[in-house]
Amino acid sequence: MKKKKVMPVLLAAAMTVGMFAGCGSNDAGTAGGSTQGAQGTQAADKSSGDGSVYYLNFKPEADEQWQILASEYTKETGVPVTVLTAASGEYEKTLKSEMAKTDAPTLFQVNGPVGLASWKDYCYDLSGADVTGQLTSEDFALKDGDQTLGIGYVIESYGIIYNKALLEKAGYTAADITNFASLKKVAEDITARKDELGFSAFTSAGMDGSSDWRFKTHLANLPIYYEYKADGIDNTDAIKGTYLDNYRQIWDLYINNATCDPKLLSTKTGDDAVAEFATEEAVFYQNGTWAYNDVKDLGDDNLGLLPIYIGVDGEENQGICTGTENYWCVNKNAAPEDIQATLDFMNWCVTSETGVNAMCKDMGFVIPFKSNLDSENVLVNAANDYLDAGKTPVTWNFTTMPSEEWKNGVGSALTAYAADQSDANWDAVKKAFVEGWATEAAAAK
Amino acid sequence: MKWKRRLSWVGTGLFTILGIAYIAPILIVLMNSFKKKVYINKEPFTMPAGKTYAGWDNYLAAINKYQLLSAVGWTVFITIGSVLVILICTSMCAWYITRVQTKFTKTLYFLCVFSMVVPFQMVMFTLSLIADRTGLNTPWGIIIIYLGFGAGLAVFMFCGFVKGIPIEIEEAAMIDGCTPVRTFFNVVLPIMKPTYISVGILETMWIWNDFLLPYLVLDLNKYKTISIIIQYMKGSYGRVDMGAIMAALIMAVIPVIIFYLCCQKHIIKGVAAGAVKG
Amino acid sequence: MKRYMPLFVLPTLCAFILGFILPFIMGVGLSFCKFTTVTDAKFVGFSNYIKALQDTVFRHSFWYTALFTVVSLLVINVIAFALAMALTQKMRGTNIFRTIFFMPNLIGGIVLGYIWQLIFNGILAKYSTALALNEWYGFWGLIILVSWQQIGYMMIIYIAGLQAIPGDVLEAAQIDGATGWQRLWKVTVPMMMPSITICSFLSVTNGFKLFDQNLSLTAGEPGKMSEMMALNIYNTFYGRTGWEGVGQAKAVLFFILVVIIGVLQLRATRSKEVQQ
Repeated sequence: MKKKKVMPVLLAAAMTVGMFAGCGSNDAGTAGGSTQGAQGTQAADKSSGDGSVYYLNFKPEADEQWQILASEYTKETGVPVTVLTAASGEYEKTLKSEMAKTDAPTLFQVNGPVGLASWKDYCYDLSGADVTGQLTSEDFALKDGDQTLGIGYVIESYGIIYNKALLEKAGYTAADITNFASLKKVAEDITARKDELGFSAFTSAGMDGSSDWRFKTHLANLPIYYEYKADGIDNTDAIKGTYLDNYRQIWDLYINNATCDPKLLSTKTGDDAVAEFATEEAVFYQNGTWAYNDVKDLGDDNLGLLPIYIGVDGEENQGICTGTENYWCVNKNAAPEDIQATLDFMNWCVTSETGVNAMCKDMGFVIPFKSNLDSENVLVNAANDYLDAGKTPVTWNFTTMPSEEWKNGVGSALTAYAADQSDANWDAVKKAFVEGWATEAAAAK
Repeated sequence: MKWKRRLSWVGTGLFTILGIAYIAPILIVLMNSFKKKVYINKEPFTMPAGKTYAGWDNYLAAINKYQLLSAVGWTVFITIGSVLVILICTSMCAWYITRVQTKFTKTLYFLCVFSMVVPFQMVMFTLSLIADRTGLNTPWGIIIIYLGFGAGLAVFMFCGFVKGIPIEIEEAAMIDGCTPVRTFFNVVLPIMKPTYISVGILETMWIWNDFLLPYLVLDLNKYKTISIIIQYMKGSYGRVDMGAIMAALIMAVIPVIIFYLCCQKHIIKGVAAGAVKG
Repeated sequence: MKRYMPLFVLPTLCAFILGFILPFIMGVGLSFCKFTTVTDAKFVGFSNYIKALQDTVFRHSFWYTALFTVVSLLVINVIAFALAMALTQKMRGTNIFRTIFFMPNLIGGIVLGYIWQLIFNGILAKYSTALALNEWYGFWGLIILVSWQQIGYMMIIYIAGLQAIPGDVLEAAQIDGATGWQRLWKVTVPMMMPSITICSFLSVTNGFKLFDQNLSLTAGEPGKMSEMMALNIYNTFYGRTGWEGVGQAKAVLFFILVVIIGVLQLRATRSKEVQQ
């Protein structure tokens, strides 16, 4: 009889255990709590042993190349490297849910001082790390006090990419465009002769999530840049919007001289713009050096890069927008061996031949490290030409935008304005820009 | 009598039109899945022809570039596994807590009913955290999560049914010397068959289509379900491949439709029965 | 029998604790904390709730969701009821029609959202506009979407209810001289109250908890104006750094709201049910 009593208990135990079996295997290297004493003290050159690397990549366009590079590193050293790429516009969400996990990313990115503010409790101090020593300039280190919490790993430039052959067909060359007035003249002339020429001035300024960052972030950088410059500051809690009329001018120009009706922009995707540019439906395409792989089929001789002019005095001397919003940070809560493995991996990426080749050639990056190679990316070289010609590059001030929330607010207002270009709708953009900035800056405190 | 028959034909005709209109959205997506991606947003209502026709390219892109097949596989695995586990575990649980009335079982029943109304957002973060800490972030582990989060509805429905089974049958079996285990599997389970179908269908529909729970719980580096892949395709990689999305939508819908057409009688009966009991 | 408790109850109980009870308790606890990833949670009292209630977008999402729920409740149930009446008449092909109308119900929210997004944007483009430009396009889009999805389901429940009405009751009414309209309102509808209770309960909870369809069809555009409560909570939680606690507090408020509405609504319709 006793046997009978035990049976059900055993059965139940077996069932329960069976259910949990095979699920509880990854307890090694638990993340919870901060890793004591790891701060600042480099674990010397101790080989990474059993550590592993988990990189949460921000750049979707380089996803494939990172996956390849990761497997090469694993082949070479035996250290497992996982790369996960967040969907565009979803980095913050993905980072947050991934960081809460046991196997949290060991290597992640912040976009600058604002991003760092929310993640600095998770950032390992990189001062003294080998990879930090490879930086060509201190400017690319993201600091908090005397700690180096992030290092920029790619310098990028953006402007208006143009198709030389089409521009010539319309009767112009890049030399004709030196400021906003001349850009406007050329664009409007092309629009006027659109049917005859068979192409438009601008690609669609799509406001779908895959493309809207080109305008709510990158284009919005220009009015911010000029305001900061005029006020002699490099950050603020209260933007005044001094140059918002210029922002409106350039936005009007983009949307009213494009391949599609401005009312349709909300559904246009990044792919649509690429397709229009690649099939020679438009001359101008606002994007950056990272887009080179998408457009290179047009031929290197055929591609050029123009500064984005918005109609500010003295802009003839303005160059391309150059900077970085990609800073590597190491998760300080990761297991010490994983931190070491991550540091080794970063260093390998920017010093070994395979790593440097992958970053400079395959991904087409300009890297702020000593090993940087001459670029094969025409757009990068075009950006450098402006530097050599003595033009002032526009810095990337959008890293000081107070939050994603702010960008989304501006983006939505821009979309609404594009559909109905009334002053009231522009006031909504202004409101999102100025008041939204103040609210979001206050909320972040 | 004659006009009545004629009226019935008019009704049939009317409903045929309505029926076609009803499935039109799926047909439109099917049509677009054979269109080159740049033309999908531009001309969603024209047939693909000539230069807009893409053949199977979109399907190949969805399968090769976005690993859609493995997502279909994982979705099937998670759905079937979870539904089986839910059916067995919760029916046993429901039978026990209806037959043995103690404070404990009453509390448990109340908690199950309570859990039915709790929106997922309430537990989304903490649940994904627990799943991660206990290593349940795999397709095997998520079955347990589904059992836990889906237990409420299932237990509630099974309890409703068990209450209607005359206890005499079970007592007779017990007197014949059956253990509760044998009584359950040999006597109770066959009687409950219709309820199994009802609950099974409800849970299948939920789990197959679920997005947020697997998105937050699963280790996305290794496993994705169909819903996750589609959401990814829409936002990911800086570009939107409308063609591949259309193909993925069709591939998400087709298994369901086949499954449905195969056992639609059971499904419709199951839904009706389940609702009346609930 | 009691000694078999572990076998029968334990597996479900363990999973239930892990998958519901623990997360629920932790969720309530975290709504009083400021945190990024839980390990750094700090108790902050009610400040999350205050912030949540001050959030105008959240308040907007509440009214938007409430309106959506009421409209979808009416649209879905009226059409489903009418279809059920029609498809229980003597007519050729009723089974095929039932099959067709039920089918969209099996398609998931994310998939549905993208199917309809293509169609709505295709149609709206002809009028030079788009879903993301007007919160009411999104609103009616969602109504059409959920109607398409849920009408078939509710219809099946109503058909089951209709078939359960004994034929002699209706016959008796007809003999007593009741018109078709009177028979519908005085006999059929009262007899159908149990089905109506279930269907309206389901559409109200579905409406309030709607998430996948909202995310994929409009994603809250324009400017969060078509964001319903569930999506607002998700976006607050994962989209805004520093607002995790507020998101959790919103979720608690949302949960309380769903419970209150569920209870009220069950009371209201139950009281109208005919005692059988």
